[in-house]
Amino acid sequence: MRVVIVYKWARDPGAAAVRADGSVDWRGAKMAAGEDDPAALAAAQRIATASGGELVGLTLGSGDASWALARGVQTACSVTDAPALADNAATAAIIAAAVRHIGDVDVVVIGDAKQDPGVAVAVAGHLRWPALVAVTSATAEDGQVLATRRTPEGTTTVRLGTPVVVGVAAEADVDRVPGMKELLAARKRPLTTLTLAQVGATVGDVESRGSELPPPRATHVFEGSPEQVAGQLVAALRAEGVL
Amino acid sequence: MSATTDDRTTRGTAGPMGGVWIVVADEAWPAALEVARASGGTVTAAVVGPQPLADAVAAAGVPVVWVEPARDTPAEAYAVNLAAQVAAASPDLLVSTGGPAARTLLGAAAAAAGASLVPGVLAVTDGPRWTVRRAVLGGEAIETLTAPAPLALILAADEAADRPAATGVAPGTVAKADTAAAEMVVAGTQPAPPASGIVDARTVVSFGRGVHAKADVALVERLAQALGAEVGCSMPVADDLGWLDRSRYVGRSGQHISPRLYLAVGISGAPQHLEGVRGAKVLAAINNDPKARIFRRADYGAVGDLYEVVPALIAALQQ
Ligand SMILES: Cc1cc2nc3c(=O)[nH]c(=O)nc-3n(C[C@H](O)[C@H](O)[C@H](O)COP(=O)(O)OP(=O)(O)OC[C@H]3O[C@@H](n4cnc5c(N)ncnc54)[C@H](O)[C@@H]3O)c2cc1C
Repeated sequence: MRVVIVYKWARDPGAAAVRADGSVDWRGAKMAAGEDDPAALAAAQRIATASGGELVGLTLGSGDASWALARGVQTACSVTDAPALADNAATAAIIAAAVRHIGDVDVVVIGDAKQDPGVAVAVAGHLRWPALVAVTSATAEDGQVLATRRTPEGTTTVRLGTPVVVGVAAEADVDRVPGMKELLAARKRPLTTLTLAQVGATVGDVESRGSELPPPRATHVFEGSPEQVAGQLVAALRAEGVL
Repeated sequence: MSATTDDRTTRGTAGPMGGVWIVVADEAWPAALEVARASGGTVTAAVVGPQPLADAVAAAGVPVVWVEPARDTPAEAYAVNLAAQVAAASPDLLVSTGGPAARTLLGAAAAAAGASLVPGVLAVTDGPRWTVRRAVLGGEAIETLTAPAPLALILAADEAADRPAATGVAPGTVAKADTAAAEMVVAGTQPAPPASGIVDARTVVSFGRGVHAKADVALVERLAQALGAEVGCSMPVADDLGWLDRSRYVGRSGQHISPRLYLAVGISGAPQHLEGVRGAKVLAAINNDPKARIFRRADYGAVGDLYEVVPALIAALQQ
């Protein structure tokens, strides 16, 4: 199977700070792969290996695209002028256009991110392919994808025909930091740069009017001697009626 | 009986915008209906699931296009073909909750309708363009966006609503749609391991890496005993340290619990951890770092060394 692993290389939202006026300060946030991307890559690698197929990396933006190349992916493409968008369908349309540009793709594996839960599903929508998201691991067997996910009933395995989009949600931090040898090898691997015009995508029309702080929470934080804070906490919890 | 097709058309043209659809695949749908109705348009539902689900949505006064999944076929298998039917109605607004199947149906419909798609949504209002308020950075800020129709929305994960009262509204019609499935079949299910006591407990005391040695778990257990609580933990305590069974860790990939009181001891409050306790009535925390993230989400916090605060707390509880 020809498998595309879509990964994100963007400022780490976990390190962004919200200022007192509610605006978001991204200055301290380093570039990082998406939280779910290591788990998605592991699933994509298993599907490619089990089906004797090939794996192609795909990312958006102008940042360093070598994250996947340093983790065993042989070739990668980047749509370098794709901006970060609030519109998940517009992001997905760019990814779908790039997948079509790559051509003959059987499986798209993509991180099913909590912050952007509409991207994986809309990639499938734009390709008119079926999708399964919230997948925790996947492999291939007899020309089909076997995807596993947790449901209230237990751990369910779903057999998927191709082409298909698989959205992987990480259960833990499974990233494996590459060694110097892999980093050097990554530099020699081919990275194709594409543009929005080349893949035939646009960026949509959702406009931000800025952000604000959420309504203040009634948090009571007690400080003082251990006995004082313990006494205050017990009194507060008694008043709440939860003791 | 008023929720006929004719009635829908009349109300649709009278409203500020027509064609609002909710996409339903699980029990969380009332939140989608609430946001969709507040948008001002007339609501239709696309439901993939068992008949009681379709009937429940219809009972809220919403006309339903219903797909009954074949045995062992996930709802997602119908996404592509159902999307074509929804798009044919030229919706202005599409709304779903965040469950995997519901948003897969929504993503397909949004793409088929040529809609923008905004996640994390708290509310939407109409106007020359839709105005959307949504949670960003895990709810630490609220962003306002505007977008033209058609627009698709995925609600913020903790948006929940009660089932609207079915009294006084005429039920919507349920039209069964003949929709072909994609190649997708459940090959097997391994039952979940037996639930730990924390799942139904009224009170849970949970600890994290702030507890420095395995021997000190006894201290947390004494506190739990004083509170009549079950003991839970953060993921690293179970996964990396192995001090408690994996069935006792709380969070995105662990247990999702709704106790009346959740007391977090030496837990930093990572978003992945807090995802497991969204349903807690009261969240309290003990941490020696006054800047710990957990204090931003807790109702009550005690700043201090847990090795001093926990014994003092046990003493205070026994008074
Ligand atoms: C994809 C993914 C999924 C994840 N899923 C989960 C999940 O389901 N559940 C989960 O829990 N985590 C999960 N995590 C991990 C999560 O990101 C955090 O790393 C983890 O929750 C941190 O655990 P902790 O709070 O025990 O430890 P730490 O973050 O190390 O926090 C320890 C805290 O103890 C305090 N402390 C230290 N000493 C004392 C003292 N003497 N007295 C009082 N306080 C003290 C510190 O100030 C600190 O705040 C996941 C991560 C990823 C990437």
